[in-house]
Amino acid sequence: MLGVSLRSLLSHKLRLALTTIAVILGVSFVAGTFILTDTIDATFTGIFNTADAGVAVTVHGHAIAGTGKGIGGGQNHPVPTSLLATVRAVPGVKDAVGDIFRNGATLIGSNGKPIGGNGPPTFGASWITDSAISPYHLRSGRPPTQSTDVVVDAGTAAKNNLTVGESIPIVFQGGVEQHFTITGIAGYGSSDNLGGATIVLFSNATAAQVMNAQGKYDSILVSAESGVTDVVLRERIAQALPSYAEAETGQQAAQEAEQSTEDTISTFIGTPLLVFAFISLFVGSFLIINTFNILVAQRTRELALLRALGATRAQVLRSVLIEAALTGLVASILGFGVGILIAKLLLSFFGSASTAGITLLPRTFIVAVLVGTIVTVIAASLPARRATKISPVEALAEALPETQPLPRRRIAIGVVIFVLGCAALGVGLFTSSDAKLQLIGVGFLAVFIGVALLAPLLVVPVAIVLGWPVRRLRGAAGMLAGENARRNPRRTALTAAALMIGLALVTMVAVLTDSLKVSTDNAIEGAFRSSFIVFTEGPDFSTQAAQTLAADRALSDVTEVRGTSVLIGGSSEGIAAIDPTNLGRVLSLNMVSGDASAIASTDTAIVDSTEATASNVHLGQMVTFDFPQGSPVRIRVGGIYTANALVSGYIVSIATMAPQVPTPLDDILLANAAPGVSEHQAEAALDHDVSAFPLLKAMSRSEYRAFVGQSLDTFLNLIYVLLAFAIIIAVLGIANTLILSVLERTREIGVLRALGMTRSQTRSMVRWESVIISLLGAVLGLGVGLGLGIAVTGSLHSLGITEIAVPGQNLAFYAIAAGFFGVIAAIFPTIRASRVDILRAITTE
Amino acid sequence: MAVSTTPSPNSVSESQPVAAQTTDAVKVYGRGDAMVRALDGVTVAFAKGQFSAIMGPSGSGKSTLLHCLAGLDRLTSGTVHIGDVELGSLGDKQLTLLRRERVGFIFQSFNLVPTLSAYDNIVLPLTIAGRKPDAAALAEVVRITGLGDRLKHRPNQLSGGQQQRVAAARALASQPEIIFADEPTGNLDSKASTDLLDFLRHAVSALGQTIIMVTHDPIAAAHADRVVFLADGHVVNEMHGPTADSVLGVMRHLGD
Repeated sequence: MLGVSLRSLLSHKLRLALTTIAVILGVSFVAGTFILTDTIDATFTGIFNTADAGVAVTVHGHAIAGTGKGIGGGQNHPVPTSLLATVRAVPGVKDAVGDIFRNGATLIGSNGKPIGGNGPPTFGASWITDSAISPYHLRSGRPPTQSTDVVVDAGTAAKNNLTVGESIPIVFQGGVEQHFTITGIAGYGSSDNLGGATIVLFSNATAAQVMNAQGKYDSILVSAESGVTDVVLRERIAQALPSYAEAETGQQAAQEAEQSTEDTISTFIGTPLLVFAFISLFVGSFLIINTFNILVAQRTRELALLRALGATRAQVLRSVLIEAALTGLVASILGFGVGILIAKLLLSFFGSASTAGITLLPRTFIVAVLVGTIVTVIAASLPARRATKISPVEALAEALPETQPLPRRRIAIGVVIFVLGCAALGVGLFTSSDAKLQLIGVGFLAVFIGVALLAPLLVVPVAIVLGWPVRRLRGAAGMLAGENARRNPRRTALTAAALMIGLALVTMVAVLTDSLKVSTDNAIEGAFRSSFIVFTEGPDFSTQAAQTLAADRALSDVTEVRGTSVLIGGSSEGIAAIDPTNLGRVLSLNMVSGDASAIASTDTAIVDSTEATASNVHLGQMVTFDFPQGSPVRIRVGGIYTANALVSGYIVSIATMAPQVPTPLDDILLANAAPGVSEHQAEAALDHDVSAFPLLKAMSRSEYRAFVGQSLDTFLNLIYVLLAFAIIIAVLGIANTLILSVLERTREIGVLRALGMTRSQTRSMVRWESVIISLLGAVLGLGVGLGLGIAVTGSLHSLGITEIAVPGQNLAFYAIAAGFFGVIAAIFPTIRASRVDILRAITTE
Repeated sequence: MAVSTTPSPNSVSESQPVAAQTTDAVKVYGRGDAMVRALDGVTVAFAKGQFSAIMGPSGSGKSTLLHCLAGLDRLTSGTVHIGDVELGSLGDKQLTLLRRERVGFIFQSFNLVPTLSAYDNIVLPLTIAGRKPDAAALAEVVRITGLGDRLKHRPNQLSGGQQQRVAAARALASQPEIIFADEPTGNLDSKASTDLLDFLRHAVSALGQTIIMVTHDPIAAAHADRVVFLADGHVVNEMHGPTADSVLGVMRHLGD
């Protein structure tokens, strides 16, 4: 009996089940994204609230412009340690402690690799002795007191099996290893650590020394005497503060940190994931349209009978739409459930320290259900409308037209939408419109919809071309596969179009990354002349490495490219400083006007042409650099160069920058082999020198090019993963269409079987139809993707993507993969087709 | 009820070889109360080179007999032979190959493949088998069906009569040992019916084809060399050299 009920379920519910799966996948991605970001937000909110629980007022310097927002908020200027006494003297202050807390203290694991890699920040901070104020709660061991003592956050300790008493090397600002002993393990607020970031804690004096904060605090944390409210205390402290400092209540600080964290998460995680979630939903809507198209076509007679019996067109339409709404509603609710699972999966992937489970906001449920239901109803309304337009007599006569030509109106609409889409894309990509992103988004949508509308025109020619080899290879099965693929061009086109979207986006990104790779490769080749480059993947690094390299006799022309940010006309700009002596031997600067050697004179800069144009700066002009830790300096523009792979923006000499930047940091180091030393020997010497600096990487020029290429491949792989959802849905769509087609053609398949077609031939017939549909999707996807890729790449010319490269290998791989998707999609339909009961198929009318 | 005595096992004369036969064929559908014995011990043989008709009222088991003879359905007990091959021992694949190699079909509702032209439909069994059509034989089949100017048309561009002639040509094109026709005239008007039956008659008389046809139309049955009558799953009568009237007479008796 189970078999019978399953079969009945398969033949009837299956049709809607596949639609349901499409909606579920799309909705779950949307819901999962919301749940993920909400949960991360909530986790941080919890951390900040508990961490700042004992802090009534926080005192710090003004925000450093341009440090932007981030997890935990932007950076503030430090305050002098002398300010602590001032704050302590304010009436109502119970206790005040100076806090050092800054990025750049990296633990080195037992394998010699930095703990945390290039992921979350690695904070070095001072231990706060007043436990009422401190966010740190000792879990085991003792606080750091000696200069070699360190306390590690509990999350990092657990993840890396660190124990009290263990000796551990730590690197500060990319410098050399210094050895410490773990004296304790501490939690942060109520949590193990700060959302995955590493925190290492030193005694106050040690922190000041290792974190380069002598005589400074990053903030002063204040607790209030009982009876004094935070607001009152903040008011009193603010009045006592000098102009360079400001005070906010603990609550304000926590809220700011929360807000900044939320913004950061939504920018870097939420928004990108949502974009891909909506792509999936968009692809899913193709599946829904197709399913309802086929369902309605199969039910045309039933609907016509209803019409003949007196049902109005509106009633029939309503009945189909209610069915769609119910399907959408149920699928959306299921999708919400799957979204919870996805969020949990991603959370474990992100390694969140959350112990509180996940955060479900009513908003998430409402959005998920609304989006899923509305998309389903809109998608179903198109076929429903068409069904009700057929006159009852026509439908009852069962004159199911085999293949009707595409109506002119539809072609015209397709062309108009496609052209408008291209126009929107063009404007969005190539002009600096305010609505740039919106135009690009709408452009993409319109291009895809336009192509989908026009795709039926391509079905017959493509099916003939693709069908030919299949026919040669597979005889009758191949011939019928080709014929079946083109017997209903709209259905085939819509099915293929769903796959097209995923493939087009993958192709576009592949063209973009390949172009970027080739451009970067050329740019790197053209940008620097030195044999070697030293860099980190994290923040800038201490000048210790430069000194070590300079002392190495196997190397010459060791040149630092230092980085810092300054305020120019109120906005923060990153500038570089280079020793002009060896400039010509390590860097290749293409001058538009002036001379690169101009920076040899102090207070002179050269600037890249894009920046010069953007801020309307010309040769000889005076610009003021406001150094955050120094004073304003009037700088003369002595040359304009073309930005390259290594340097852009303003460049000054190290002599100009040095007086204004007390603790300089290097962005990259460049070096050549010393005269008489082979490249090989020099590289060995360099590798040896750099091995003392665990965070630094030393590479030859060709190694560096390969390295940059690899990181672009990583990006491409990430896009593959994100688009996988869209492609899975498209493959489901193919399976869906085929199953419905097989059901529709039960009688025909029965006849073929009666005439001597074997089961394996029947499977082959369905499988090759699937492959042809998939390859049509590949043809469309690769075509559209190439177009989009070239357009997008072209628009990024000014960002240095000067070459347009077509990754032929990748594209061939996508086409083969598409064929393979076809085979996968056909698995279930082929089983159904080969199990058609011959007798029942040919005897039931 | 049915006549209690079945005519002796078969009425094929010793000199004529057997194209297909059943022995004690039983076919049971369903279980318990819903159990139906569609064939209840049918022993019958059909001679090579003969045009045989199977007749009987609705529910007599005539279609079931045809399906079992043709290897489309399996007996509950008893045996079926096509030539000297016993079908019960064959697996699905072997049955499929047997249908492909040795059997042709003509269905009531034509059952042409809508995506293929008339020509491709006619040669479809050969294409499925991966065989090249015998050009001369094919030309002859096309000539006698009169489809010469219709070969490039799709089924939906053909009349019902033309479609059934394509189906008949399809059955003949592979030169099978035996053709099974299931109510071939059921969906045709009388003119088209007569054309088709004449064509089938011609195939037997001139080409030596063997045809077994299920029908409920006495006029159609009158084109056959021999009529076997079924009722309630038994062979109840048979007739050689039937006429429409004589068939009608027996049928009237069965209908009582």
